[in-house]
Amino acid sequence: MANQAVGGRPFGGARPARRLLAPSSRAGALTVFIVRRLLWMLPVVFFVILITFILMHLAPGSPWDRGGGRQLSANVVQNLNVRYGLDKPLWQQFVLYLWNVVHFDFGLSYQYQGKTVSSLLLGSWVYTFTLGVLAFCVIVPVGIGLGVIAALRQNTRVDYVAMGFSTFGASVPNFVVGMLLIIIFGVYLYTLTGGAYSLPVAGFGLDDHLIMPVLTLATLPTAFIARLTRASTLDILRQDYIRTAWAKGLPERLVVLKHILKNSLIPVVTALGPTFAFLVTGSVIVETVFAIPGIGRSFVTAVLSRDYTMILATTVLFSVVVAVANLVVDVLYVFIDPRVRLS
Amino acid sequence: MWGLHPRKQVRSLAVGICAVVVAFACGNGGGTGTSNEAAPNDQQVLRINDGTEPNSYDPGQQTYTYEAAVGRMTFQSLLLPKPDLSDVQPGAAKSYDVSSDGLTYTFHLRPEAKWSDGKPVTAADWVYGWKRVLNPALAAGYVDPFFDNSVAGGDKYGDVDSKSSSAIDTFLNGLGLSAPDDHTFVIKLAQPAGYFKWIATLWVATPIRKDIVEQAAGGPVASNDATKAEAWANDAKTIVGNGMFKISEIVPKDHVTLVPNPQYWGGAPKVQKLTYYFISDANTAFAKYRTGDLDTYTASTQNVQLIRNDPVLSKQAKLYPKLTTFWMTFNEKKAPFDNEKLRLALSKSIDRDKLANNVLNGTDKPFSTFIPQGMNGYDASLGDSQKFDPTAAKKLLADSGVTAQQLSQFKLLTRDTTANKTVNEFISAQWQENLGVNIGIEVIDSKTVTSRIRKGQFDIYGPDGWGADYPDQQDWFDIFLSTACHNLNWGCPTLPGYDDNIKKADSSRNESDRNSMYKTAQKQLIDTAAVGFIYQAAEYTLIKPYVKDLKITAIDDQAIPGDLFYHDIFIAKH
Repeated sequence: MANQAVGGRPFGGARPARRLLAPSSRAGALTVFIVRRLLWMLPVVFFVILITFILMHLAPGSPWDRGGGRQLSANVVQNLNVRYGLDKPLWQQFVLYLWNVVHFDFGLSYQYQGKTVSSLLLGSWVYTFTLGVLAFCVIVPVGIGLGVIAALRQNTRVDYVAMGFSTFGASVPNFVVGMLLIIIFGVYLYTLTGGAYSLPVAGFGLDDHLIMPVLTLATLPTAFIARLTRASTLDILRQDYIRTAWAKGLPERLVVLKHILKNSLIPVVTALGPTFAFLVTGSVIVETVFAIPGIGRSFVTAVLSRDYTMILATTVLFSVVVAVANLVVDVLYVFIDPRVRLS
Repeated sequence: MWGLHPRKQVRSLAVGICAVVVAFACGNGGGTGTSNEAAPNDQQVLRINDGTEPNSYDPGQQTYTYEAAVGRMTFQSLLLPKPDLSDVQPGAAKSYDVSSDGLTYTFHLRPEAKWSDGKPVTAADWVYGWKRVLNPALAAGYVDPFFDNSVAGGDKYGDVDSKSSSAIDTFLNGLGLSAPDDHTFVIKLAQPAGYFKWIATLWVATPIRKDIVEQAAGGPVASNDATKAEAWANDAKTIVGNGMFKISEIVPKDHVTLVPNPQYWGGAPKVQKLTYYFISDANTAFAKYRTGDLDTYTASTQNVQLIRNDPVLSKQAKLYPKLTTFWMTFNEKKAPFDNEKLRLALSKSIDRDKLANNVLNGTDKPFSTFIPQGMNGYDASLGDSQKFDPTAAKKLLADSGVTAQQLSQFKLLTRDTTANKTVNEFISAQWQENLGVNIGIEVIDSKTVTSRIRKGQFDIYGPDGWGADYPDQQDWFDIFLSTACHNLNWGCPTLPGYDDNIKKADSSRNESDRNSMYKTAQKQLIDTAAVGFIYQAAEYTLIKPYVKDLKITAIDDQAIPGDLFYHDIFIAKH
């Protein structure tokens, strides 16, 4: 053990877990981990389909019942049932549906004649996804930024302003935020400028149409992330190793970025996964208020009109997005949290 | 029916709070002076909110008002209503004859009529279009009762195996639809129908191009292949119509853009671009109108007062009645609602003036008869037996032998819109105040309500109602036929002699005989309180002052003012 005596680094001991693996074997373990998790998604999706299938058939009313007024005649209903295979026993419908899903055929929408659910979903998800990703790009820097600044300047005016904003964002429902924005930047701005300019109040476009929906969509998650970051940063600030870092005379930038931020973001990353999933699966309220033809609105319309194929496909899509987002977070842990082992 | 009063179907989220928020923004809406001179062609743009995207652009498949709004622009029916709704006028057919037995209608088509791609419209296209409506595999929503009950051979519709193309072909070929030459379309009826000319005005029954259907499907289409048969209607390029506009762009769930059809027999319309947006939130549509991005806006109940108080907006507002009435339906298969005196007591204890003026902002009209004002058959004097009279109502309740305690176990069922809830809260309070009866309200999602009323699982349901498909009384009185029990006739009242009377009136061709028979029926419905009639709907609509020459009728689609006669409207310089 002479080598130890001359002060070499101890062999084994408290080294971070990830360093135990050589880069190649670490990548292999990660691949196995990801593949295993992806395979686990199959039973998850199966049960999502099963539960959704049962629930939607239990819900009173059929796709052919109408909101009011003239109802379809019994003959027409019968013909529609034949056309869409609803005349078969439920178990057969379920098996047939699974068989088709395996072949990536999600069927025809009952509401929109002659249109496949896949084409409808793809068409509307583009809008939702764009809004979701943009909102995410607002939430991450603003939420984390506000949280960190509030924590570093705890109990100062900066902290109060940041937390005041996040309390507002967390407590005001987003249809109110949306309507307020519409009134201020739509109606008021239009009146103030004598009709020369206002932000568009409805519809989708890759221009100023995005501003109000993205802000509305981002408000609540930004507030949430800011509060979470603040709490977690305050917690880290009280740790001994931070005191040590300061004591060593490290520059503030280094302490904040390397020692504080890296550790305080672990719970934030955990929250960002589901937040991202929540954003890209659409918000019915934001999409309704701003008349965006996205997937959140489609889903609610499908539920209200008992468009069975659309309900199922949307639910499957949502469950896959949530599962993948969680998987991404778990993989990210490996890189940001040295305590995580791939086992 | 045409779908319930659209204003009552506002799908506003959190209406109450939004109304307060909107109230803060009670500013000017940007009214400008206008002349009567037409603006240049590039400004001939009309932007309308249609509320919801059509489920299909095939007129045969369209049943809702938001669908008909688009269907009527792109396809034209044989006849059209006159602007005053007193009768029909020529549409795609320049004239029509009826045989002396009333069974054969011969429509003389316009020889100059062309499709939007320039090909001539032939009678064979009409036969094909009508047969599509009656094809069981396509399951067109409006086939019943308009077509299977009228066209000869249509009564076998329900017996056809919709999976078998040969069975369908046999059925379709046996229908009374023929084209003796390119410009004559003959329809044979199963029985005389004095109202049939109005069926010919429905947006549903139009010509369809077989070659386009097959081209979009990629080859011949078997009669039982609904998916292939509908492929053409999903692409703006293959939606070739005979209407005054054609579709230039479809952005799903967002908007559809129409441009003039230069081939239209009456000449291209003046408006060069017509956009129908699908905005479901009433407050968003209102904001869009106020920022100059919509040219009309039909006010939801919560915005009416705000508009009235605004000096600019109030000048752009127009109030016009609809051929739509609302009533309360009693489940007459169930005691104690089979008791006529009780029903009359409940109906007579509702102060309709207060309802119309206080709850409905004075836009809708208090009402105690069935056929709406503005339509043949309207007779306010028939409504006396249901008019508000709390003293008589109390006496009727006492005479009915039903106690307040018995009634307290019953509920008033409604669909979950704010407007429905408000109306029902008022009615429930009226019963409490005027009869001392406590009937609570039950608010449930729309589909569940339909499924329950279809099974007769309710006590009282409302506001139930009807909007005219066309202004003929047959469209109204058929609702209460005993054969429609648990279909449209949710309460299933017992009405001796009613069915025979209505069947005679429907098949008669003598207008005065028909009127007299329908009058007897209307009196019977009101006097027995088969339902409790409460109000006639109206629209309170904002129209930009530069939209000129609108011909507003009481049956305009989806609260879009003047849409039945868009050919001559124009945008004035502003």
